[in-house]
Amino acid sequence: MTEQTPKKILVVDDEINVCKSIRRALMCDEYEIDMATGGEEALRKEAEKHYDVILVDLMMPGLSGIDLLRSLKGQRSRAQIIMMTGYPSTKTSLHTMQLGAFDYLPKPFVPSEIRNVVIRALEAGRAEE
Amino acid sequence: MLADYSDMPSRSLIRRFFDLPLRRKLILSFLAVISFGGIITLVIGTRIEHRTIFSLAESKVRNDLAAAWMVYNEKLNGIRDVVRLSAAREFLPEFFRTGGRDEAAKRLDAIRREYGLDILTLTDAQGRVALRARRPEAFGEDRSGDLFVQRALRKETPAGTSIVPRTLLLEEAPDLAERAYFQFVETPKAAARPGDHEENGMLLQATAPVMDGGGALIGALYGGVLINRNYEIVDRVKDIVFRGEKYKGQDIGTVTIFQGDLRVSTNVLDAQGQRAVGTRVSREVERAVLVDGGRWVGPAFVVREWHITAYEPIKDIDGRIIGMLYVGTLEWPFLDLRNRVMATFAGLAGLCAGFLLVLLWLASATITRPLLNMVKATDTIAKGDLNHRVEIGSHDETGQLAAAFNRMTESLAQANENLAQWGRMLEKRVEERTRELRETQDALVQSQKLASLGKMAAGVAHEINNPLTSITINAHLLLEDRGPDDADRDALTLIAEETGRCAQIVKGLLEFARQTPSEASDADINDIVERTIQLLDKQASVRNVKIIKDLDKSLPLIVIDKNKIQQVVSNLVINACEAMPDGGTLTIVTSPSDDRRQIVLRVADTGVGIPKANMDLLFDPFFTTKSHGTGLGLAVSYGIVHQRGGTIDVESEVGKGSTFTVKLPLEETAPDKKPAKDQP
Repeated sequence: MTEQTPKKILVVDDEINVCKSIRRALMCDEYEIDMATGGEEALRKEAEKHYDVILVDLMMPGLSGIDLLRSLKGQRSRAQIIMMTGYPSTKTSLHTMQLGAFDYLPKPFVPSEIRNVVIRALEAGRAEE
Repeated sequence: MLADYSDMPSRSLIRRFFDLPLRRKLILSFLAVISFGGIITLVIGTRIEHRTIFSLAESKVRNDLAAAWMVYNEKLNGIRDVVRLSAAREFLPEFFRTGGRDEAAKRLDAIRREYGLDILTLTDAQGRVALRARRPEAFGEDRSGDLFVQRALRKETPAGTSIVPRTLLLEEAPDLAERAYFQFVETPKAAARPGDHEENGMLLQATAPVMDGGGALIGALYGGVLINRNYEIVDRVKDIVFRGEKYKGQDIGTVTIFQGDLRVSTNVLDAQGQRAVGTRVSREVERAVLVDGGRWVGPAFVVREWHITAYEPIKDIDGRIIGMLYVGTLEWPFLDLRNRVMATFAGLAGLCAGFLLVLLWLASATITRPLLNMVKATDTIAKGDLNHRVEIGSHDETGQLAAAFNRMTESLAQANENLAQWGRMLEKRVEERTRELRETQDALVQSQKLASLGKMAAGVAHEINNPLTSITINAHLLLEDRGPDDADRDALTLIAEETGRCAQIVKGLLEFARQTPSEASDADINDIVERTIQLLDKQASVRNVKIIKDLDKSLPLIVIDKNKIQQVVSNLVINACEAMPDGGTLTIVTSPSDDRRQIVLRVADTGVGIPKANMDLLFDPFFTTKSHGTGLGLAVSYGIVHQRGGTIDVESEVGKGSTFTVKLPLEETAPDKKPAKDQP
């Protein structure tokens, strides 16, 4: 078995500290983690790199998390999209799931939680291939 | 402008009369009428009575005078008879034939004495005195000028009254002159008269012719009685007419013979109780009887007292007025009689008036008593007793008035009752409205608090959750890197845990802010309670709290969001447990409300209680007295219950415990406020 290509993960959050913390939590050899602090930046990076998993904050200035999710799904991105929010609600969770998000993760969370979600997302992505 | 009567005495008297109580006015009016009528009747009655009594008295006196005349004339006739019979005695012609003066005089005087004559004298045919019974030695005097002698010498037998001069009296017998002599006694009403004495006498006399055996006139015999100081006639009249009648020790009737205006024989007494001879008649009587020759009948002042009198002139045989015969009765017995009659009359009238007054007094009471009752009733009613009624005693005007008064009072009471009822209703409504308003306001304040808090909570949660995410992740990452014996491990664990608590707080906040629309369905409130207690039972027993349930099994199902109501119940139970740090009893009761339109859930503890100051803050978000806890439990419960259209109240006493009461309407009413916004 050849060395597996690292899985590409993009963390999108308007707060760079949150991005960094998530990257630190996920950081390992198997993952190649990028960060974006806005929706536009995220779309640009996805167009270059085609990520496996994209973690998206729901509330962001400019292009919001929902808009980004919609755009990504519109571009038929193969990435599994995990929504994060500091203000979780049933309504938004249902909405994002309908739009095709993989999971909905209320902030704050411990490293293990985000890791488990990402692992499940990757497994789901592999299953889809 | 109103006239001021107070300074006008007569007006004020009238006014004072009109101000008197009705009853007194009636009595006074009646008294005035009675007194006026009584006085007039009395005056008129007295007059009539007076006139009647006095006219009776006068006619009696007139009769008495007639009787007196009879006695007088009888006496005169008696004298005439004595003289006539004496004139026929044998010894008189014999004296003329043979003389024998002493013997004849003795016999003549015996006759004189026997028949009570003062004078008995024989004249010869020429009218010269032949023989005097009392003075045989005095004879020869010519008496032919005397009318009586002249008529006797014409063989007549005249009798009458005449005035005899003192000289003749002295001739006949000196003591007669003395008897006839009067010194005048002054009386107040006598007429003025020259001289101060009377020396002539008044004689009742008769003369008869003396004849011899052949029937030839040989002389005349005259005899008489001197009336002066001779009381035989007057006393006889008094005895016959008045029969010695006395009034209060005083003779009623009196009789007098006047010589001219002089009392010469009388039984009128003077002040000393002596016969009032020597006094004279009053001026008026003198003029009427002696001057005018008429009869006087009427009241007259006799000597010293008023009498009812009758006077008639005494005339001599020539028809000249020489004196008067008087009969009188005391006036004051008649006045007494009149006064007695009038007093009786007045007394009777007074008695009648008094009786009528009493009647009127009683009768007026039937008028005034109902009025007074009504006045009293008015007072009572004015003091607020509208149930007071006037007694209706009669069916007259006062009775009708009382009935009308009662009707009025009834209407008044009715109106008052209506007013009071209206007032109570109004008060109740105002109270209700005030309470509703306060509740609405409270609810509004609470909902505004909640709404703005919801928004804020959303923002805060979002903003805090981001840094919390960084802290949480990094704290955990650091922990992962440290070995179990690392010195920083405790500090890192603390950070991680406290961050977790922060996350819980924010989560609670979000829960509170996120009041989602309810997913209501039929539910049994008792089920919800049982389930909640099951979950919390262990926690309670650890805290040494005993849970008592009193659930009404008959409660109907209610349309509610089970999860939310469960959250409310568990909040209340947890709160109750936490209020009893040293254990206690928690009582949970379900029941229908009194009107069975609500379900009531009561959670009571025996804990520390809630200070008054905290009562108002109790349902405010983040209000907490606990060292841990978010202070959102009751706020969230409040929000849930109100969203359902119910209420949540608390009663508490410090040191004894608190009772929370939740009321949920069976028919879901529209929640009075919108749920807090869900949307960020």
